[in-house]
Amino acid sequence: MAAELALEPRIETETGGRIPGNKGMWVGITCEFVEFAVLFVVYFVARANFPDAFQQGADKLSRESGTIITLLMVTSSFFIACSVNSMRAGLRRQSIYWLVAGLIVALGYPVAKYLEITWNLAHGINGESGIFFTVYYYLTFNHLVHATWGILGILWVLVRHLFGGYSAEDYHGLEALASYWHATDIIWLIIFPMFYVLA
Amino acid sequence: MNLTPKKPSTALLPLTLTWLALCLLTVFSLGLGKWFHGANWLPLLVALIVWVKGMMIAHYFIEAELTHAFIRRVLKVFIAFAPLWLILTGFFGGQFAQWALSFLRG
Repeated sequence: MAAELALEPRIETETGGRIPGNKGMWVGITCEFVEFAVLFVVYFVARANFPDAFQQGADKLSRESGTIITLLMVTSSFFIACSVNSMRAGLRRQSIYWLVAGLIVALGYPVAKYLEITWNLAHGINGESGIFFTVYYYLTFNHLVHATWGILGILWVLVRHLFGGYSAEDYHGLEALASYWHATDIIWLIIFPMFYVLA
Repeated sequence: MNLTPKKPSTALLPLTLTWLALCLLTVFSLGLGKWFHGANWLPLLVALIVWVKGMMIAHYFIEAELTHAFIRRVLKVFIAFAPLWLILTGFFGGQFAQWALSFLRG
């Protein structure tokens, strides 16, 4: 037990301030932010060069799909934050329920994306429909890939949670997953107005 | 003066209120796109909403104020990054396109 505690990552750093989850996860999140920052620059360069294509493009997309995905992301993020807070309070069973709710809602994202792409293709919108749609597909697909990793992460953390892997004293894995999911949520909240609001 | 460091929260109410605010802002920003289609100031308001939503998640879900300074900075810079570009391209899109083209052409 003492050896296990010694191996536990310290969440309080010497310079003050916590590291939610673990350092490795925050290296990953920082890399994810850098990757999307580069993709956003491509979006803004394309938008500045082809303003008409971007003005008209948003009108052709399904705003309902974008809104549903946003609400799914925000809600699953909320449920997972509740799971972390419940675990901190020592409410393990509640924490598992919140995590299951977060997983179910998160699974709605790929379903909504599939329906959106089906709708797009039925309306003749594909990756070759113009610069706006090329940028839309690569950015939203990229986000879907990151969200899929997050969903797999939720599944892994849920299995560990069910087998008693977390406690009120040690919930680093759960918090690392939550941090990744919140970061992925922040990225979607930036993508949403780029394609579905600004016309 | 209270010198006790702030502890991570166990309360669910602030999370619930944050979630409600995020949902309302999402629906509101969607309405903005419909009601003020093509308005010059729309990118400014949209940028502000994006920044507020991002900061709410950082503050209430990640509890950024309790984290290490590096994490706080990463979150602040990333959340401000896209809104700043939204404003730049919204108001100076033409000039920005010229700069980008001249940069790409060397």
